[in-house]
Amino acid sequence: MELKKIAIRLIAIAVIAYSLNSVFTRYFWEKELTKEGPELNKLLRLSDSCDIIYFGESSNMSYDPVNDMITTSISGLIAAQIPNKVVGDVSHQAYHAGIYLPLIKRIPEGSRVKTIIVTLNLRTLDQACIHSELETALQKQALYYSDQAPVWIHLRAALNDYDNVSPHERDFRMWKQWTNDTIKAGSLKFPYPTIKTWCEATKFPLADGTEDMPKRSLADHYVKAYAFAVDSDNPRVKDLDEIVMECRAKKINLIFNLLAENTQYADSLVGKPLVDLMKYNRSFLVNYYKRNGVIVIDNLEGVAGKDYIDQNWTTEHYNYRGRKIIADNAAEVLKY
Amino acid sequence: MMANIYRASHPVNGMILNAVYFSIPVGISFYTFQSLSYTFDVYYGRQKAETSLPRYAAFVAYFPPLVAGPIERFHHLSTQIFTFHKPLYKNFADGFRLMLFGFFLKMCIADNAGNYADLVFTKPEDYAGGSVLLGMLMFGIQIYADFSGYSLIAQGASIWLGIHLIDNFRTPYLSASVSEFWKRWHISLTSWFKDYLYIPLGGNKVGIPRWAFNILIVFLVSGFWHGANYTFIAWGAIHGITYLAEHFTRSYINFSGSKIGLIRFIGGIKTFILVNIAWVFFRANNFEHAKTVFKAAIKPKGTGNLHIEMWVWFVLIVFILADISLYNKRIDKFLGTKNILIRWLVYSLLLACIFMFSGTVKHPFVYFQF
Repeated sequence: MELKKIAIRLIAIAVIAYSLNSVFTRYFWEKELTKEGPELNKLLRLSDSCDIIYFGESSNMSYDPVNDMITTSISGLIAAQIPNKVVGDVSHQAYHAGIYLPLIKRIPEGSRVKTIIVTLNLRTLDQACIHSELETALQKQALYYSDQAPVWIHLRAALNDYDNVSPHERDFRMWKQWTNDTIKAGSLKFPYPTIKTWCEATKFPLADGTEDMPKRSLADHYVKAYAFAVDSDNPRVKDLDEIVMECRAKKINLIFNLLAENTQYADSLVGKPLVDLMKYNRSFLVNYYKRNGVIVIDNLEGVAGKDYIDQNWTTEHYNYRGRKIIADNAAEVLKY
Repeated sequence: MMANIYRASHPVNGMILNAVYFSIPVGISFYTFQSLSYTFDVYYGRQKAETSLPRYAAFVAYFPPLVAGPIERFHHLSTQIFTFHKPLYKNFADGFRLMLFGFFLKMCIADNAGNYADLVFTKPEDYAGGSVLLGMLMFGIQIYADFSGYSLIAQGASIWLGIHLIDNFRTPYLSASVSEFWKRWHISLTSWFKDYLYIPLGGNKVGIPRWAFNILIVFLVSGFWHGANYTFIAWGAIHGITYLAEHFTRSYINFSGSKIGLIRFIGGIKTFILVNIAWVFFRANNFEHAKTVFKAAIKPKGTGNLHIEMWVWFVLIVFILADISLYNKRIDKFLGTKNILIRWLVYSLLLACIFMFSGTVKHPFVYFQF
């Protein structure tokens, strides 16, 4: 009898929740989505009007409006080279495969989109990026991109029901990997077994007995950003695998656009072992996804060191010349 | 840049700092209080010592109130924990009502108010005086809704297990005096300090100066319990001094004891203002920060205005009406006396607020840090 009473009340709550979803969707959802999941509506619009969608992050844009002679984005430069196709872009700072995935899942079945280009940024596969403090905000956005009832998404966001790990916890995981994980990449030999030991050993003594700290800082960033070996267990690789499956199911051509990294600086600051590691990771990704029938555009060493806007940080922010090289390579593939 | 170099060059230190952070359990002070009360009770012969470690551990680790109270006493909790409970529909209904209201307080009121409080407390100098005052008020609302929301959720979850926890809040912002406020705010902590600090110090069975000293000590220790920061001590001192000031002027005007509604009302306004002024010290990072907030609050003009959304006003009105309706009552008992139509109207309203108007910016429970 009491179980029956409880069941009736639970059904009543479900009916209330269903009604609330209608009200919420009608009056509040659009405003909330614009704020919390800014790229979804754009993607849905592009799905109706574009043949090709470029999924990118900050590398797509110009970050130097003063010195950049032309500020056109990579996707814009691609579009200019294939006038018979409509190219759109979904670009947002710090996005990576884990955020592209729920967005790609939202491309409607039978949409106009025939090809997507997904930015493949080597740095997004490293520990610093995987355990970045930005991840909490990004995972919240990913929740808003999921295909669920709007009121349910709102409730889950209010209950912090997403990968909502504290910055301390993320930091802890990152330090743990930097300290404990041994770098193993095929037959390559490394002077130091972990990121910790590599950073400690990377020094730039000056004649007066002090150290060139800006240089050391930059070298540290290079080690932390690239001293890792990709394998199929990497969480980002798993996201990329799911993107491959999703595109296959939707019959969308998939192109991975492996971004250029400043290998020249990596070589001059840290040395050949780090560059070898970057090349090893490039080979892994190119071969792994080619085997899966995906076109991978290899830009890794395509942009010269001077064409990076940030000269004291590890980023993929290119000047016009750099963006043009990346766009040309992508357009070349798209022409066929 | 230097910090990054340090971190990169000394990862072990980074690990140690993180290890220290993770080795401090959430809510440590709450179960320290519970353990202390048990120890004192056994020492003074008020409680028979528990010889079974698992039973003692079950008392300390009983999960619903573990991280933010209410602070339970051994004799109250142990008699319930170690008894067999049959699932009762009444407990299910009462627990549901308590949790529903608790979630409403935390998710709709505290988390929304917290957004505005954070804006103002982060950069008070950017806002006009009126907006700063509104931000101060929002923090007062946030901390009450956050903390009492947690207590209600803990009580509700516990009732589902057949265990009744003590009430921790009774509409404190409707108090006509600071002394009444402390009979309604964080009741389990107030009674803890009364039993284990105030009475051992001599309580009111001493001369007036010593009694006043005892009161001040209790409030200062209460402030210090919240954190090793002078701002918490200032918060405790403000409450202690106003408590004493009210006591010594009681023969002229007794706000909480008065039978005249207007006097109680004026007392209520005065208490609400005082409590909210004290919250500034509680929320501020340091004295300088508190000073900046107060300076900004009395500044007539400013560049920024706090724009509060219409639906936030709506949930705040629901909250204020609920608080007034629940004066000296608890939500489960209050709704239990109403007919099914009113009950389900209230449930629907609370569910609508939770489902549609909950804040989506992460605000951990304020008392998790203590």
